[in-house]
Amino acid sequence: MTSRHTTAARALALTVATGLALAACGGGTGAGTTPGAGGAGAATGKVSKIKLVAAEYSKDNTAAFWKKFAETYKAKTGVDLEVQIVSWDTIDQTSSTMIQNNNAPDILNLNAYASYAKDGLLYSADEVLPASAKSDLLDAFVKSGTYNGKLYGFPDLSSARAFFYNKAIFAKAGISAPPRTWAEFETDAKKIRDLGDGSIGYGLPLGPEESQGEFSMWLFNNGGNWKENGAWAINSPKNVETLQFLRKLTDEKVTQNNPGKTNRADAFNLFKSGKVGMVVGFSPLAGQLDQEKKVDYGVAPMPTQLAQPQTFGVTDYLMAFKKDGNQEAVKAFYDLYYQKDQVNEFIKAEGFLPVTKSGLQFFATDPKLKVYLDTLPNAHLTPTDDPGWDKVKLAVQQNLGSAVGSGGDPKAVLDALQKQAQSGS
Amino acid sequence: MPRARSDRASLGSALLWLGPSLLLIFGVVLYPAVELVRASFSRFSITGLRLGDAGTRNYQAVLEHPLLGTVLRNTLVWVVAVVTLTLVLSLGVAQFLTKDFWGRKVVRWAVIVPWAASLVITAKTFVMIYDYYYGTLNLLLSKLGLGPVDFLGSSTWILPSMVLVGVFVSIPFTAYVFVAGLHAIPQEVYEAAHVDGASPFQTWWRITLPLLRPAVLVAAVLNIIYVFNSFPIIYVLNDRNPGFTHDTTITFMYKLAFKSAEKDVGMSAAAGVFNVVLILLVVLVYLRFTRWREQTR
Amino acid sequence: MTAGVKAGPPLRAEPARRHTGWRRQRRWVLPVAGAALALVFLAPYVVMLLNSLRPSGDVVRTPPTFLPREWQLSTYAQILGDDRFLAWLKTSLLVATASTLIVIAVSVPAAYYTARFRFPGRTAFLLLVLVTQMFSPTALVVGIYREWFNLDMVNTYAALILTNAAFNLAFAVWILHGFLASIPKEVEEAAHLDGCSRLGTLRRVLLPLTMPGIVTAVIFTFIAAWNEYVVALTLMIDEDKKPLTVGLTSYVTGYEQHWDQLFAASIVAIVPVVVLFAVIEKHLIGGLTAGSVK
Repeated sequence: MTSRHTTAARALALTVATGLALAACGGGTGAGTTPGAGGAGAATGKVSKIKLVAAEYSKDNTAAFWKKFAETYKAKTGVDLEVQIVSWDTIDQTSSTMIQNNNAPDILNLNAYASYAKDGLLYSADEVLPASAKSDLLDAFVKSGTYNGKLYGFPDLSSARAFFYNKAIFAKAGISAPPRTWAEFETDAKKIRDLGDGSIGYGLPLGPEESQGEFSMWLFNNGGNWKENGAWAINSPKNVETLQFLRKLTDEKVTQNNPGKTNRADAFNLFKSGKVGMVVGFSPLAGQLDQEKKVDYGVAPMPTQLAQPQTFGVTDYLMAFKKDGNQEAVKAFYDLYYQKDQVNEFIKAEGFLPVTKSGLQFFATDPKLKVYLDTLPNAHLTPTDDPGWDKVKLAVQQNLGSAVGSGGDPKAVLDALQKQAQSGS
Repeated sequence: MPRARSDRASLGSALLWLGPSLLLIFGVVLYPAVELVRASFSRFSITGLRLGDAGTRNYQAVLEHPLLGTVLRNTLVWVVAVVTLTLVLSLGVAQFLTKDFWGRKVVRWAVIVPWAASLVITAKTFVMIYDYYYGTLNLLLSKLGLGPVDFLGSSTWILPSMVLVGVFVSIPFTAYVFVAGLHAIPQEVYEAAHVDGASPFQTWWRITLPLLRPAVLVAAVLNIIYVFNSFPIIYVLNDRNPGFTHDTTITFMYKLAFKSAEKDVGMSAAAGVFNVVLILLVVLVYLRFTRWREQTR
Repeated sequence: MTAGVKAGPPLRAEPARRHTGWRRQRRWVLPVAGAALALVFLAPYVVMLLNSLRPSGDVVRTPPTFLPREWQLSTYAQILGDDRFLAWLKTSLLVATASTLIVIAVSVPAAYYTARFRFPGRTAFLLLVLVTQMFSPTALVVGIYREWFNLDMVNTYAALILTNAAFNLAFAVWILHGFLASIPKEVEEAAHLDGCSRLGTLRRVLLPLTMPGIVTAVIFTFIAAWNEYVVALTLMIDEDKKPLTVGLTSYVTGYEQHWDQLFAASIVAIVPVVVLFAVIEKHLIGGLTAGSVK
């Protein structure tokens, strides 16, 4: 009893002491340091360490790739590469916190860059991107990565949407081929609805997760766009017509319940369950379907109002922050990343699409990717080169769904978004 | 000033005993709080870069936000509903858990689980339960011919659905504060009541409840604070609903910084300052109302 | 524990008979009610457990089923054989344990002092502690990051531990203050007469009497630190220094969903807390019984 108490007392005393020491250290120095003394590695010339904040595409591959990459990079340059892998859910918060504290990483992997370029935080391609790497980039991505005439957003990988359909449901509903026009699409969706076994014609996700992506795919196939001739065109007649069409699908109950409040992942879950006849998907969805082998599906070009089907492409960026003495190290980073065996292995492991011309050849051997690769060089992107888009995108995500909800008015919703976009930029 | 020998203490010895606490509070809690206030008077770019001073503009922007009223109303309903239901139900649970019965130990372990599990994960599990298409609860309701119900997507159901989860995860903690409080009531008091012929209800009403008052007070204050500051439940269960229609002030603050079209750290900081002031006022009014100072004597 | 039932002779005949009947009935009524209560609290976690035992695609399949269509036990082996998961688990255990020790070590003296002595600033201190309670780390995360960044302590366990300790200190001070204040001063004075020093009295006499409060504070702090998310997310950079809460988010993202692994990992994450609770819960009663004997 007594001995136990003594031991406990000693442990307690020790922790008190440690606590005191730690706390003293914490409070004391904290008060003494002037905040905002950012900008690491001051005048020493060159840094011995750079930091990458990378978004996590997959649990199994992203961290593993960057770990190996950091080793190769260190062997080649002698510079340490510190890697922080952050989930997509929280990367905005993580990067914002760092920048608020003048502690931006050297390289950041994100789905937007223009606002950072606008704030003058980034290196342009002329400063850090080897010429060979720049010339290898696909034109569509050079265009989307260029702000004010300079390339700041260097693409790390891309994806393109395609039209997925469930072959079993199609057979049951007597549909022989995937629809090519919107009219055919609507008819097919109704046929599936009329099966009466709970099958859903079309999985329409207009919830806040990614509604701008779903809407983009439709509006590009109606000849619309987010911007026209350099000005916002969110409420153009074409776009209003597009959203009205989606609203009509909802009213005709050919979609799942409450599409304005369905996120993309849930629409995919319904397709993977074999409940949905058609959905707009991308290559990671194909990967999951192939792995589960539960649904016999086909991939086709998007139904369109135009002569040729259009596709919507997405790319994420690896941008470089200007910091004292890091230019050489950052340049070496890109030099290594855009080596064919690096960038393409990364993309392959993550199940996405290439961003370079040499990458197109690298992946050409994979027949499953053909449908995406054919359309990729001509893919339409959202206006990521406009810093205003970074806010417009959020406004679209948060508001678009209400257009298909009860009492929603597509035109009013788009008018409001247009107004917001014009006042914001 | 009391003069009893063992009661008197100098500021110096007080600092010795309270020093570590003060260091932690000032160093790790109040210093960041000052940073929050500073941020609320600053103008930020969407990237998080500080562009300059904002004066009171961020505060005005929060006050003029068209959905502020909705958010405040949601917060009020959320806090009042969750705290009231939690206190009432926890009292029952705690009384039950102090009874002596076979298997009580296991029941006590079971009750702690919702507290032990991370809130984010519990919230995600509830999505699996509530979902319109693959939710377990809807499976049950459909078997009974009552469903499915769109618990998370319908404007009528979303708030009650969230309140239920809020109450569910708050009960374990509250019940344990009550269990500790019930244990602290001396047995003799009950025996005396019994001798006096008090009925079980009278005993409970006249003795248990008043003697449990300190525990109820602590539990109420802490629950008000936690429920008000509760983030994961609303954020996860409400993630499919666009806009701010079903947000409370905490998720409103978070979305202002990272998810909404405002995407403005300064405005979010201003909302954060309002949050602290609001909860401070609520708690102080509550303490005043319940004559807290008597309890600390 | 059996308040109002065991003690004292009944005064009237009828309630007495009712009581005897009830005494016989409660033998099975209470355990059955207990089982029902346990079931209510465990129900969502049964769903979680069942979800961890089926392939990921089965978790979000429509129409749903109560039991897995396909049982899959390998997820647990997969999780427990994953070095990253084990590293997250280790971080969580370390951070939660260390934070709890610091909180107890710091709060006990503060609570004792404020409960026993009047001194200038006492009310102010208690109010300050209460105010601390109002701040959520979520709102303050930028300032917290700035502080540790300035101290060059980002990505260190110490930063995470001290942050967790600081934000949970308030509760511990409050609950212990309440317990210590309720112990009659005579108990302490008697110990003094026996020749105990102030610290000795605190340790030998008061702490055992305050055990229920300490147990409550330990459970509370441990759980709060165990479940903390936002600060860890921002402060910890290295993959193997992240705690479970942050690590778990990588199982389900916009691009891929491993629901099976997420839920299996979550089930494993609950175990240490329940074990801790099972180990120290008896002190909740033990300490109190000791108190009432005095």
